[in-house]
Amino acid sequence: MSTRWYPIYQRGGPQLRVFLPNFWLKLVRPTHEQPPNIVQFSCSMQMTKYDIRNYLEKIYNIKVVDVRTRIALGPTRRVPAKGYVVKDEDIKYAYVTLPKDEKFVFPDLFPVDNKAKEEEEATIKQSKEGFKQFLEKNKERPNMPGWFSI
Amino acid sequence: MRLTQFLLSKVGKYSKDYSNLPDRYIKRAMEQVEWRNPKGIQYKPNAVAKRTKYKFAMHRPWTSQFREENAPGVHHAKVFVEPIRKWSFFRGDRVEILAGKDKGKQGIVKQIIQERNWVTVEGLNCVLEKVGERKGFEGAYLQVEKPLLVTEQVALVDPSDLQATPFEWRFTEDGEEVRVSTRTGRIIPVPATAEETIDYKTKGTYKEQPKDTAANDVTQITFEPKLQTFEMDVMNSMGIKEDRVPPKYYWY
Amino acid sequence: MFKLASLSSSLGKLTLSSLNNYKNAPLVRCLSVSVPQRGLMEFFDDEKNWGATEVKSGRSWKKEELRLKSNTDLHKLWYVLLKERNMLLTMEQEANDQTQLFPSPERLDKVEESMENLEAVVRERNVAYHQLERGETGERPGRVRTGPFGLKSYHKMCQYLIPQHLNKKHRETHEEYRPNKDTEDFLLKYREKLYLTKKRKQRRNFNHVIGLLNRFPNMDMQALKEQYPDVDIEKAKASRRHRGHFVPK
Repeated sequence: MSTRWYPIYQRGGPQLRVFLPNFWLKLVRPTHEQPPNIVQFSCSMQMTKYDIRNYLEKIYNIKVVDVRTRIALGPTRRVPAKGYVVKDEDIKYAYVTLPKDEKFVFPDLFPVDNKAKEEEEATIKQSKEGFKQFLEKNKERPNMPGWFSI
Repeated sequence: MRLTQFLLSKVGKYSKDYSNLPDRYIKRAMEQVEWRNPKGIQYKPNAVAKRTKYKFAMHRPWTSQFREENAPGVHHAKVFVEPIRKWSFFRGDRVEILAGKDKGKQGIVKQIIQERNWVTVEGLNCVLEKVGERKGFEGAYLQVEKPLLVTEQVALVDPSDLQATPFEWRFTEDGEEVRVSTRTGRIIPVPATAEETIDYKTKGTYKEQPKDTAANDVTQITFEPKLQTFEMDVMNSMGIKEDRVPPKYYWY
Repeated sequence: MFKLASLSSSLGKLTLSSLNNYKNAPLVRCLSVSVPQRGLMEFFDDEKNWGATEVKSGRSWKKEELRLKSNTDLHKLWYVLLKERNMLLTMEQEANDQTQLFPSPERLDKVEESMENLEAVVRERNVAYHQLERGETGERPGRVRTGPFGLKSYHKMCQYLIPQHLNKKHRETHEEYRPNKDTEDFLLKYREKLYLTKKRKQRRNFNHVIGLLNRFPNMDMQALKEQYPDVDIEKAKASRRHRGHFVPK
């Protein structure tokens, strides 16, 4: 049987099990301010609250107190250069409550590295100036090869 | 879809080999989907509106420059590309240039753009391009290699006498297909650089990344044939017992 | 076997402790590495990759490699891949929200390709079992069915508790196709449309071949024939648009 066919359940039949779940779950930055123990996820549209709870508890070993879900309307937008309006797919969000004493702060994944940026800018500036000097030096002697100098 | 456009819209094998990217990613990166029918019961289940004609030039399909060149609303004149049966020019081949300002010079093939039958030769057939011009800086000139047609503008060089030569694909006695110079009969070997990618020089010298599975673990055989389905085997190993028999059901 | 190993998703790096079901399972030698608990931080990449411009990775798992692995190993690998995909999706989403660069997006495709291959291998094994035991594939059955407009399509069957002849509701909603005047008219027009599309495509290819012949007279004709099998090349060569408007010498 295909791994993606979920068989019909009848009373007295064997328990239905999923061995290779293909649900996805994204941890997203909360759209609104939340208490420190509430985490926002976006998930596959087919997932139910029970699925989300089981998914986190069994696969990620995270204690879950409560799960609430909502479906956000997908945004509408105009197709570039064509102009007709299309609607993107709806998104299911899950708000997962962790135990009271746990805290989760969404990390800053793109730390501003000022030092590296400054260094890069300095090297660009330096090379630009070097090039300018080179041009200045060769201004008075056209058609002279580059190696011919003191 | 038009057959010619279909053929053109495919990225050639040799032009993507060096990047070592999965085909799936290349397809996803160059695709410009305007709109796709959502999943579910639909009048047209898999309907999709997307760009079908692309212009292939020097920029590779997964780059932002390619996307800019093929931006929505931008259309290009049709390009005629001569059909070739077997691609014969590889990265690292020594070739002689037969046209242009560097005619008669020999160089090494640096890049392949198979969709247009193009190769670039290292340091030859260059033009000066001005880059970085802005207020307070005049900009600098860069030497940029221009592409050459493999069908008429370059010729392979025979390794025995270092002269340009016509060639043929022939089979050796071991059944291996090789390029043979028709002038001298010598084999023109495919250079080792042909298998080089951006991630490794040769497959043997690949440096394992932290998340890679070790080669030994990949080749280790743990499979034992059993008269069980995947589900039964996993349940067995996890100690789950299930002896309820599913009641009768009907397929239609 | 060259050393190019597969992606992220390594068997060796499997987090055994996160899979409750495996706590009592006998450990395979290569799977005995366990990783400390990271909880919700498993949804994020390694901290040293935050803000990186490139993250190198190997290639995806191939089917022939997965065929060597036992069912239990495949089951474990699936969860490693699933976690990796969730991590990549989280990182991609955050990068998009912050209008930042998501480094090496091909990792996502590598993981998904591995998952597809794994599923295919599992399916192969199950089909083999069902063929041996019952003489059938055990896959979801299907048949070609004629729809209400007389168009044929492949119908994947569903499971029902009662047979079809007793299922009144199903019979009412899924009526058998009977040819009638309206559908015959429709099909005639529909087939004409398909025929015209095909002819148009042939004509376009024919014209394209003439364009190629005009531009590349010394072209490899065998290659041309292989690329355009539906075009009569002799006819294209004889056409006035190829040879010009004069009497041939």
